[in-house]
Amino acid sequence: MINYIKDLVSGIWALLQGMYITMLNFCRPKITEQYPENRGKKVMFERFRGELVMEHNENNEHKCSGCGICQMNCPNNTIKIITKQVTLEDGKTKKVLDQYLYDIGSCTFCSLCTQSCPQKAISWTTNFEHAVFTRSKLVKQLNKPGSKVAEKKAPAAAKAEGAN
Amino acid sequence: MEKIKKLILSIVPDAVAEEAQYPTFTVDASKIRSVAEKLKEKGFDYLICLTGMDYGDSLGCIYHISSSTDKTSVIVLKTSTSDRQNPAIPSVHDIWASANLYEREVYDFFGITFIDHPDMRRLFLRQDWNGYPFRKDYDANPELNPVPMENQTIAEMENMPSITLKSDGTVIKKENALFEKGDYVVNIGPQHPATHGVLHLRVSLDGEIIKKVDPNFGYIHRGIEKMCESMTYPQMLHLTDRLDYLSGTMNRHAMCLCVEKAMGLEVPQRAQYVRCIFDELTRIASHLLGWGCMCMDMGSITAFIYGMRDREKIMDIFEETGGGRLMVNYSVIGGLAEDVHPNFVNRVKEFIPYMRKMIKEYHILFTGNPIAKGRMKDIGFLSKETAVSLGVTGPSGRASGFACDVRKIEPYAAYDKVQFEEVIREKGGTFDRYIIRLDEIEQSLRIIEQLIDKLPDDGFRAKVPAIIKLPAGEYYQRVENARGDFGVYIKSDGGKNPYRVKFRSPCMTLISALDPLCQKEKIADLIMIGASLDYVIPCADR
Amino acid sequence: MLELIGIRDWIHNSLTELISEDCSWVVSLIEYVLIGVAFLAVYAVLALILIYVERKVCAFFQCRLGPNRVGPWGLMQSIADMFKILLKEIIRINNTDQFLFKVAPFIVLVGSFCTFGALHFAKGIHGVDFNVGIFYILAISSLGVVGILLAGWASNNKYTLIGAMRCGAQLVSYELSAGLSLLTMVMLAGSMQLSEIINVQEKSWLLFQAPIPALIAFVIYLIAGHAETNRGPFDLPEAESELTAGYHTEYSGIQFGFFYLAEYLNMFIIAAIAATVFLGGWQPLQINAEWAEDFNNVMNYIPTWLWFFGKTFALVFLSLWVRWTFPRLRIDQLLKLEWKILMPISLFNMLLMAVWIIWIK
Repeated sequence: MINYIKDLVSGIWALLQGMYITMLNFCRPKITEQYPENRGKKVMFERFRGELVMEHNENNEHKCSGCGICQMNCPNNTIKIITKQVTLEDGKTKKVLDQYLYDIGSCTFCSLCTQSCPQKAISWTTNFEHAVFTRSKLVKQLNKPGSKVAEKKAPAAAKAEGAN
Repeated sequence: MEKIKKLILSIVPDAVAEEAQYPTFTVDASKIRSVAEKLKEKGFDYLICLTGMDYGDSLGCIYHISSSTDKTSVIVLKTSTSDRQNPAIPSVHDIWASANLYEREVYDFFGITFIDHPDMRRLFLRQDWNGYPFRKDYDANPELNPVPMENQTIAEMENMPSITLKSDGTVIKKENALFEKGDYVVNIGPQHPATHGVLHLRVSLDGEIIKKVDPNFGYIHRGIEKMCESMTYPQMLHLTDRLDYLSGTMNRHAMCLCVEKAMGLEVPQRAQYVRCIFDELTRIASHLLGWGCMCMDMGSITAFIYGMRDREKIMDIFEETGGGRLMVNYSVIGGLAEDVHPNFVNRVKEFIPYMRKMIKEYHILFTGNPIAKGRMKDIGFLSKETAVSLGVTGPSGRASGFACDVRKIEPYAAYDKVQFEEVIREKGGTFDRYIIRLDEIEQSLRIIEQLIDKLPDDGFRAKVPAIIKLPAGEYYQRVENARGDFGVYIKSDGGKNPYRVKFRSPCMTLISALDPLCQKEKIADLIMIGASLDYVIPCADR
Repeated sequence: MLELIGIRDWIHNSLTELISEDCSWVVSLIEYVLIGVAFLAVYAVLALILIYVERKVCAFFQCRLGPNRVGPWGLMQSIADMFKILLKEIIRINNTDQFLFKVAPFIVLVGSFCTFGALHFAKGIHGVDFNVGIFYILAISSLGVVGILLAGWASNNKYTLIGAMRCGAQLVSYELSAGLSLLTMVMLAGSMQLSEIINVQEKSWLLFQAPIPALIAFVIYLIAGHAETNRGPFDLPEAESELTAGYHTEYSGIQFGFFYLAEYLNMFIIAAIAATVFLGGWQPLQINAEWAEDFNNVMNYIPTWLWFFGKTFALVFLSLWVRWTFPRLRIDQLLKLEWKILMPISLFNMLLMAVWIIWIK
């Protein structure tokens, strides 16, 4: 009988303590992200892997030489590099990048492409809004139309930049 | 080890002994049972892993065996059969219960029939699948296995074929019924809120009392091991995260360690420390989710949200340093992808006291609750012997008294430099499996606390060649992930792709423990016991 | 001046003035229709409010914000949900008992609506006032279980059947302690008529008239009533982690909406009965002392319907608080709680109340 009452009282006390914890959280500030409202204000972490991009400088030049190492390293055939032959002024032909196609729909964000790129031509941005209406829109061309390969700098300068 | 060698040679005089990473013995298929029985007698009661293998001219099995008493000794048994048409190897399922599912898996992938195994159904693929995909001569033509467009019953799942070999050499083929006639069978899953993924449980009931549970795998089988065979070693890494997605960091760590060991690569101390911290943070995150899911399965959704809220803090730490939340992609062969973020140390230091405070709240909110206590006490007891035999490791195994923490048995990375307790409980009930996770969070916090201030400064990545080739051989690496003993087995033929990769999944053995645990319990307890085992289906299905 | 009784009398007087005395049945007819429409409207609106309140309160307990997209603070959310549920297709399930399947949600709804009609919302605002009001409420609110059993049976689904069986066992058991604790209060009030019970509490609420036995009865009634609404720690019939949705797994569209509506209204009805029987219904808080006269006057100034809804919603909040804190019981624990703890205590409590009435009062 005494045990019965003891159990009852301690049980009720434990239940009340649990209710105290939920009431504590009732009064705490809420953690919900107000997403479309905080759009633009919300800063993603700088290393967040949102989308693969190819950086272009102000002259619409990128660093990709079209060597295809990223395409080889990609485990899911996400990257497709289409090159073309151009004839230079001195008569030689050279292979340059025509289209750099990136299918974000099959990308697993493993970073093997950015890590292996010898030119450091591709990198991640923090854009995370990828929703589109058709799958074909997920395939993106990373090199901008009309862009060309940046002229190689002197090796010393390139090295200094690499160290940064 | 000499004793074991003598023992095996006394039974099978023509056994081939090798000194590889673990002592390896190759025995003839007909002798495998007698060797296994003797080893079990000598205390080797824990079958870590059973790997099927296609040697080209023959098909075989590799048994990694360890002991629950002498935990550091691991031996490897190998056997093979040259009959590629009707390969058969004696079953060891009655010696080690975990072999039950492993042998079904090998049958599924290699077509090796295990004699005397009571349940030779395919494990992951459909019952009517043509061919055995892990054989090197497998025809992957999609026309052989078209996608069926019509409804089919699952009646074909209900017969369990088996093969018995009489002493006079005659073969008896039998079909055993899965359920008795007139059983009230309820399908739980594959789409069900409580199976934590796409697991399909066929449960036969007597009123609310469970008579039998039959787990049905393969709904999220992606063939990761097969995919690995056509990938380079760095490419394989991203698939490890997708096995047990809640302990992706640890799985990746295992794969990195395995490849590094094979290459003989020295990893910087800093990378090892940071990997340890990441492992422990992942463990906390996983246990928080496990705790939350268990509460949710008991009907306390609020507790689940609290667990997720605190897990979010860890996700933020991961995102800031590694760039990803669930698939952190941080460890790479040779070290880390990048050095830690400048905020990393501070964030982790802020997190430790916060987490300790929250654990106190969890205890008040849920552990002390008489309803929760009443539901968890006295159900689902797993004895130590069963746990060892089934290969139930990790928190669930330790709750039964099976000290199986790989961090203690084979310390890797920086785990030999830290002090922590291996939390072990004796009774093996559902409540033990619940409370052990919260206790392990505290131990993980302790490990992080010891490491975070002492990060060495010797770089974060060793130099690795651009194309990684492993020397020919077999490599096995064990790691303690959030659910138990995770293992990576790689067989290399010297090229840049592996010859065979096998992941030892702790979750598959956890699921195999459902049937012995749930018998005579109520249907509501099935959900509880499943939640307390805390399995992740993609890890089991691979 | 803010009393609803004024509106009631005004409608009655203007109707009797308009229509000659010979046709007084016309007046009655019009009044019946008006009352019916008003009750239906209040019933539906209350359900919408309760759904919104539940979602918001639940979110706040869980460190979330809850619905906040439709309208300011998400106020329009439940209206949007209502339209969604009205527009949804009612899926016809093969191999089911179509008649029982269709009739089940109506029985549940009728059970809860008939109980709703017996409530006293404010001074002079009530549908029916039986002299056996408490008895009527207990009887008619048990009608819902028939609907639930039918739903579980007619769906031809294993989950629904288990859910319905659990529900039957649960409701039948908890009806007992709910009835016993109400009976204890009937002993104190001396009447089964709800208006009489409310009048008795004019000076002080029944909870304060016999503090110890009344408090015990109050707590037991709240627990048992909570269990009768199939919510909170007692939501076994629809335990989503085990039975997906329990007895209403196979229902869709407005048929599911009926179950949903009845569930929320039952929560309100249980809270309203508790407020009526224990906390004085629409009677304002009064302190029976000379110094408190000003206080009493201030309390009397607050309209009675506000008192009623205030008390009821306070109890609804309590029920939500409990629901979002505790884990679910198992069926054996549920029955143990009833038969081993609540039943003996309420029987003992009844005895205590009798002693109290004879010796102390």
